[in-house]
Amino acid sequence: MKKIVLLCSAGMSTSLLVNKMRGAAKKQGYECSIDAYPIRSASEHGKDADIVLLGPQVRFQLRKLTQDLSCPVEAIDPMTYGRMDGEALLKKVREVLGD
Amino acid sequence: MTSFEELSELSFEIIAAVGTARSDYIEAIQEAKAGHFDEAHRLVDAGAEEYLKGHHAHLNLIQQEAAGERTDMCLLLTHAEDQLMSAEGFGILADEFIDLYERLSKDEKSQQGEMIEERTA
Repeated sequence: MKKIVLLCSAGMSTSLLVNKMRGAAKKQGYECSIDAYPIRSASEHGKDADIVLLGPQVRFQLRKLTQDLSCPVEAIDPMTYGRMDGEALLKKVREVLGD
Repeated sequence: MTSFEELSELSFEIIAAVGTARSDYIEAIQEAKAGHFDEAHRLVDAGAEEYLKGHHAHLNLIQQEAAGERTDMCLLLTHAEDQLMSAEGFGILADEFIDLYERLSKDEKSQQGEMIEERTA
């Protein structure tokens, strides 16, 4: 089971996107855990994650987190984020993870 | 009246736009720190463009309210306004920081020039 972690400044707006992603994952029968956390807890929640996704407001941390974490770290496309498009984001995750 | 669903969508639109702007502004400061001033200015311009998108979405809501159409507040909209303010602040700071790093860079260069002149004199 894949562990997907979403990070934004407070973990608030991304939590709504998480719900949309969970819905998309259920529909596709894709086994994964999807959770949102504040960027401050990146090292704690990102260390055993399979992929970490950053909200547009914390995208500037991309370089640092890519160095700190062993898993892929991706910035969420602002269009995908603005539309709360959980399906498109899950598609991106599956592409990056190759499954 | 704007429905809760519409308001959520609008809030996300604002957060995505001004959140992108905020990251652009912070990256602009980081680039200026590294001495990449062209890239820093490009990022500030890109940030300002994104910020405007969010600002317009928010302005529409304010104008609707001024025209007598009530908007029910929700926590997500408060959060969007919070992000809007944060982005605005970073935009002002990015300009100031780039100016400062540019000045530092010029001073360093003229000091190096003086040292070379002294050595060759």
